[in-house]
Amino acid sequence: MPVLEVKNLKKSFGQNKVLKGVNLTLEKGEVLAVIGSSGGGKTTLLRCLNFLEIADEGEIIVDGEKVFYIGDDGKPHVPNNGGEYMGLVFQQFNLFPQYSVMDNLTLAPRLAAKRCPDYKENKKSIIEQIESQAREILAATGLSEKHSAYPCQLSGGQQQRVAIARALMMSPKILCFDEPTSALDPELTGEVLKVIRSLKDSNRTMVIVTHEMEFARNVADKVIFVADGIIEEEGTPEEVLSNPKSEKIKHFLSVLKKDEI
Amino acid sequence: MDQFLGVTGNLLLGFAENMKLFFATLLFAIPLGLIIAIFLLSKFKPLKALFEIIVWIVRGSPLMLQLFVVFYVPGILFDMPMRNRFLAALIAFVINYACYFAEIFRGGIISIPQGQSEAGKVLGMTKSEIFFKVTLMQVVKRIVPPMGNEVITLVKDTSLARVIAVSEVIMSATEYSAVGIIWPLFYTGAFFLLFNGLLTILLGKLENKLDYYKG
Repeated sequence: MPVLEVKNLKKSFGQNKVLKGVNLTLEKGEVLAVIGSSGGGKTTLLRCLNFLEIADEGEIIVDGEKVFYIGDDGKPHVPNNGGEYMGLVFQQFNLFPQYSVMDNLTLAPRLAAKRCPDYKENKKSIIEQIESQAREILAATGLSEKHSAYPCQLSGGQQQRVAIARALMMSPKILCFDEPTSALDPELTGEVLKVIRSLKDSNRTMVIVTHEMEFARNVADKVIFVADGIIEEEGTPEEVLSNPKSEKIKHFLSVLKKDEI
Repeated sequence: MDQFLGVTGNLLLGFAENMKLFFATLLFAIPLGLIIAIFLLSKFKPLKALFEIIVWIVRGSPLMLQLFVVFYVPGILFDMPMRNRFLAALIAFVINYACYFAEIFRGGIISIPQGQSEAGKVLGMTKSEIFFKVTLMQVVKRIVPPMGNEVITLVKDTSLARVIAVSEVIMSATEYSAVGIIWPLFYTGAFFLLFNGLLTILLGKLENKLDYYKG
């Protein structure tokens, strides 16, 4: 059973049809790279997957559970615990500046625990558990020494790693990235990509919107090329990036190549 | 010397009224301002429009006139004369300052990048958790300087309450000038300066305290 299934997802902003029916499936542990020129609908697709935008039509199924669909009354059904299914790492990190690294990681889990009825009796052990989980994740992302630093004291690469660690705290079934290295200086992208690669090694299912074609080639199991609101081409990195069929993607890749020179 | 001490004592009694009005206004106008700010940001158009009109009226007309309205209108229109002058002044000040605060809060709230609440949302936080745990603290940091301005203005504005005969410090001083002793009138300035000096130091400390992070 696929961990993620998207069926006929459509989204318009006014007259502007941004997604015109997107279908995709992802197996557990697979990494999907989403490429395409800006304005093609990549980011909107990701935002719909994370319920930051509400799609107009279609279904999102996670682990066989229909989490997003249009009800019989025509109203969209959005899960109120979307964070359990999907995590999102933003291009601009969006860390909470007033909190330390540790508090950035533990804030959401602590608030979630507080909503549980048995929180009061087990407060101490719950918080200890959340904090030890945070320490583990910080160690895995190489940020142990930074646990009491504030985001403004960190480099862009470190901030993005904290953002990844924060998303991992919620143990989402699928972790999404919206151009995770686009806001970084070139010399800082490596450390972030390394963390993402290590997540793949630990069998995490991920959807990555990226402009790093080499990275997509090396890490992704599947690549989709999104243009004009549809998936123009999909397949293995080899198929899509090395032997593209459609003219649009050929053009897109050739423009990228020129930029590299 | 005796006269000086006597005048100082009387003016202090007057200034105590200013202080009462100042602290009570802050106490009620800050939460009311926050509520009005939330209405001003409401997506429900009629509610937003209603409060925009209220803010326009309150900010667009003189505070002195508003004091008269609160003091006289209940008696004229509803046959319920305002007996408590201090209360009338307090109501006028709270409404007036709440509207100014609301605009400052609104500006602070919309200045926080959308990404902050989106980050909270994808982490599964509720709307109120996002507001209180993520947005509000960042808003507080950003609004300390403009709020400091308003708070200092409020200290001075409290002396307007004398127009409905609240016996604040300048009103106390005019009792002397009426019998030819002018200097107490100028002396009242010292009370305002001293208190505002203290406030300026406190506001600076608060700003320093919030300076541990950027953003």
